[in-house]
Amino acid sequence: MLKKHPIITFLFFGFVLFLISNRLDELRVYQGATVAVYAIGIASLILLIGYSGQVSLGHGALLAIGGYAAALARIHYESPVWLTFVVAVLAAAIGGALLGLAAARLSGPYLAGTTLALAIGLPSIANQFLILGGEQGLIFDVGPPPSSLGEDFTQYKWFFWISWTVALITLYWLRNILNSRYGRGWRAVRSNDVAAELAGIHAGRNKVLAFTISAGLAGLAGALLGMLLIVSPGVYSLALSFSLATGAVLSGVTTLGGVMIGAVTLVAIPEIALAIADRYGSETITTNLPGLLVSALLILTVLFVPNGPVEQLHAKRAKKGHSSHSPVEISVRVGHKTWSTKK
Amino acid sequence: MKQFLDMVLIGISAASIYSLMAISMVLVWRSTRVVNFAQAGMALLSAYFGYELVGRIGNFWIALPLAMILGAAFSAFIEFVLMRTLQKHSNQGPIAAIAPIIATLGLLGVIHAVIGFIWGHADVQIQAPLSNVGFKFGETTIVMSPMSLFVLLFVIALMIFVSIIFQKTNIGLALRASAFAPEIAQLAGIRVSGIRTLGWAIAGAAGAAAGILQTVNGTGALSPESLEFSLLLVFGFIAAVIGGLESLPGAVLGALILGLVLAAVQIYISGSLVFIVAFLLLLLVLILRPQGFLGSKAGRRA
Amino acid sequence: MLAIAALTVSTVPAQALNPKASDTGVTATTIKLGITSPLNGIAAPGYKKIPDAMKAYFDYVNANGGVNGRKITLVSEDDRYIPATAVANANKLILRDKVFALVGTLGTASTKAISERAQLSKRGVPSLFVNTGFSGFANPTQSGIKGNPLAYSTTFAILPSYQMEAKIMAKFIKDKYDGKKLALIYQDDDFGRDALAGFKTAGLTFDTYLPYASGSQASAAAGWVSKILAAKSDVTVMFGVSSATTALLNAAFRGGLFGKTQFVLGSVGGDATTIANTSPALVPLLNGAKGFSFAPAPTDTSDEYIKLFQSIYSAAQPKETFDNNVVAGMSNAFLVVQALKATGANLTRKGLIQTIETKGSTLAHPFLSPLGYSKTSHVGAQGYWVGTYGPTGALTPDGGKYTVYTTDSGTGPVVESTYKRPAMPAKGL
Repeated sequence: MLKKHPIITFLFFGFVLFLISNRLDELRVYQGATVAVYAIGIASLILLIGYSGQVSLGHGALLAIGGYAAALARIHYESPVWLTFVVAVLAAAIGGALLGLAAARLSGPYLAGTTLALAIGLPSIANQFLILGGEQGLIFDVGPPPSSLGEDFTQYKWFFWISWTVALITLYWLRNILNSRYGRGWRAVRSNDVAAELAGIHAGRNKVLAFTISAGLAGLAGALLGMLLIVSPGVYSLALSFSLATGAVLSGVTTLGGVMIGAVTLVAIPEIALAIADRYGSETITTNLPGLLVSALLILTVLFVPNGPVEQLHAKRAKKGHSSHSPVEISVRVGHKTWSTKK
Repeated sequence: MKQFLDMVLIGISAASIYSLMAISMVLVWRSTRVVNFAQAGMALLSAYFGYELVGRIGNFWIALPLAMILGAAFSAFIEFVLMRTLQKHSNQGPIAAIAPIIATLGLLGVIHAVIGFIWGHADVQIQAPLSNVGFKFGETTIVMSPMSLFVLLFVIALMIFVSIIFQKTNIGLALRASAFAPEIAQLAGIRVSGIRTLGWAIAGAAGAAAGILQTVNGTGALSPESLEFSLLLVFGFIAAVIGGLESLPGAVLGALILGLVLAAVQIYISGSLVFIVAFLLLLLVLILRPQGFLGSKAGRRA
Repeated sequence: MLAIAALTVSTVPAQALNPKASDTGVTATTIKLGITSPLNGIAAPGYKKIPDAMKAYFDYVNANGGVNGRKITLVSEDDRYIPATAVANANKLILRDKVFALVGTLGTASTKAISERAQLSKRGVPSLFVNTGFSGFANPTQSGIKGNPLAYSTTFAILPSYQMEAKIMAKFIKDKYDGKKLALIYQDDDFGRDALAGFKTAGLTFDTYLPYASGSQASAAAGWVSKILAAKSDVTVMFGVSSATTALLNAAFRGGLFGKTQFVLGSVGGDATTIANTSPALVPLLNGAKGFSFAPAPTDTSDEYIKLFQSIYSAAQPKETFDNNVVAGMSNAFLVVQALKATGANLTRKGLIQTIETKGSTLAHPFLSPLGYSKTSHVGAQGYWVGTYGPTGALTPDGGKYTVYTTDSGTGPVVESTYKRPAMPAKGL
């Protein structure tokens, strides 16, 4: 259904969410909003890592740029909320473009390490400049829900609505981009940049574009996250970067289809851990179990389902449909670099 | 003038710890072509081993080498279980490039959680065996103490020792060959997988030393959230890259440069800028001299 | 989809509605309170004792009939002194645990974030006796936040504000160290800046200012020592958390700063036993430093409250030392119980807030200055006494007795207080 009538699917999903939000209590509504934010963040990583093949361990820094930009626009210029989101996207996109330019010449662990250093370093800037609020951060206040929605419409429901509207629109847009020639271009450069260049794709520009768009999405997620909590270094920590990377791997880095799996898992795991801790009543479990579950899940996924559950499913279906022999593949090897027709 | 001297000594002191971390990262890279982001986590775990050993044996000088052995064993274990399985299952597709990175990140998380389970999150103390008070010259106290002097000498000794192994022994040759051209090494009769494990083991020992010495050279307090260990991870990596991931003396040089620059920033400008400056330094080196100061042109991209 | 369905199903409330309950978190036999504070991390040394100390007092009250027949339970969460985590914890306590009120929240940044973000005033959730001296909580109708002037209307302070403390410190420094070179180390956030405002109001300027970002104290300390030595400061004021004091003493020890400057410690970072927990070797270094407090000293066994608290705590936590943090926690819990009692059997959130605003200043309490609660003020204690640290880290008042100075958070003068604390109620209940 998704393939044939994408708009209808998205609208339908939105409608379902609307219905659900009226039935859930505040806690679940709040968590639901968080799922939406993670979905955008994970989608940005899927674009960057899965499609463009560039690894970023520091996306938290890009979320931070978006969050701070939105908060500052709101606090100092009293911008309307939709404008603050635009500002967040632009600011983060610029950051991403710069990072992408620097990163275009790096690969693998160098890129990973550099983004890691950024993730650790950027939040500490907040402590340098008074205007950024230091450790206690800034409050990004989107204001109360409009009175037309009624007296009972709580603030958290309003967050839920904003987050999901933005998430659905963003995911729809991203899906179109990934299926377009840009998406194909990224995949081409990822599997073989030399061949892609020969086919007329400018690899460097292509990579920077991926970083820019991914960063813009991250900035949007960062602004929403700031709305839900506060905009402070503690929110955009290294842990956030790792969580998003984990979510991306859990979802299946190469395809957007599984993005909800990662997002829901990230929110569900602390819940599960809490439930277990309540059962066994141990302080140590509450503190340590979520981290353990997430990390263990990450290792297991990358070991056994490296391309993600969705892709794994597709592969199984493809195998069933076709003959039992694998298709012909050609490999060429020069030195220790290999080109092959297998993806 | 005194401030300058303080700065140099603080820088050298910090550099000696970072270089241990950098050495262990370079070791892993040179023997298995993986950057182990869990290195600092393993160093943290080894520091806790050290804490337990010092507590039970009561003698730091015995506990240190024992903890290094435990660190080596743990590291070898990880290579055996995790990295080999990874190689078998995840060597296709876009995930192949980042699978080791993600796996080591996951490992970091698991180690943190396990440490939290066993030892809790409160600070534990490792008693420093030497005095932490700076040497006195007449009226002035300089910022180098017997403890930090020991760390410095230890690092120099370790670096010389490991370099000799790598450059002058057959094992060292095997280590380098297995990383650079595993198929050829195998043809030459080298048990590549065993050698890789050995590489991780040596790195684990260096990392363990880094973790323990970092703790006793500081306040002696150890906890899973110690800021010092995130620093260790990032600064160790940056030091390794600045010096050139391929080169062991490079790792030490990189750590020295990093340590001095950061100390200068801390003393003359402001302590809160250290991360940003470290990041900018990294970026600068990667853009201007990507192979690092002592690295050779080949092999940066691989 | 499955996951969402699962989430929906699990929203069925766990408790059935109790017909006798007067408000959320209150049943006929229980009152549920919540606290989020740093149990681990940079501010944990010392402060992590507070929830257990509060629990010890609550258990004592429960064993002696409770509050109007209801027993108190305290749900405690760890926020690591990170405001974002504190907000998440507050949401959890209010939405999932459904506590009646928050108590003893710690940290200026965390408390501010909670009051605003977890929308305490909109939900009517009281936040009692927050462990911070931020002066912004003083006026319930003027939060200073654009568009949300009532954000702090349900939040009550208990400590004297940092501005008060800074003004009293300033008077002390001006009287005793007139003309000397001064240095100030402070945390670079609302906590430290509140103190700066107080010093400014009192007209005290420092020759050297050393701000530090929360979390960076361990690495920054060597730099402080270097700069203090270079500036030849005669007096060094430390207005930071305990871990900053520890870092300072450590660096001072290694850098040879002792004997060269007079340390003056603010109440927040001045707890010797906290420092002792991290580095026992540093405690003797406090000898001769000046410190400020507004409660009786924990070593003062002639004080009836201290005696009572000591006996309760040594039974509940025999392995822990009885220090300023324990006194702070138990005093806080004491005042909470007095406020709950005074509200009566029909216990509602609104009623509790009203009680504190109308009767708060007459409630029994262990502090040495009067409480300032009213409809227009949510201020607790209002003054400090000065003391000197001994070789074991005990703070004894200068002049042998508690001379308390009181002031306000504005431009009012610092005066010597003539307040006589009323006697403790029988058995401390």
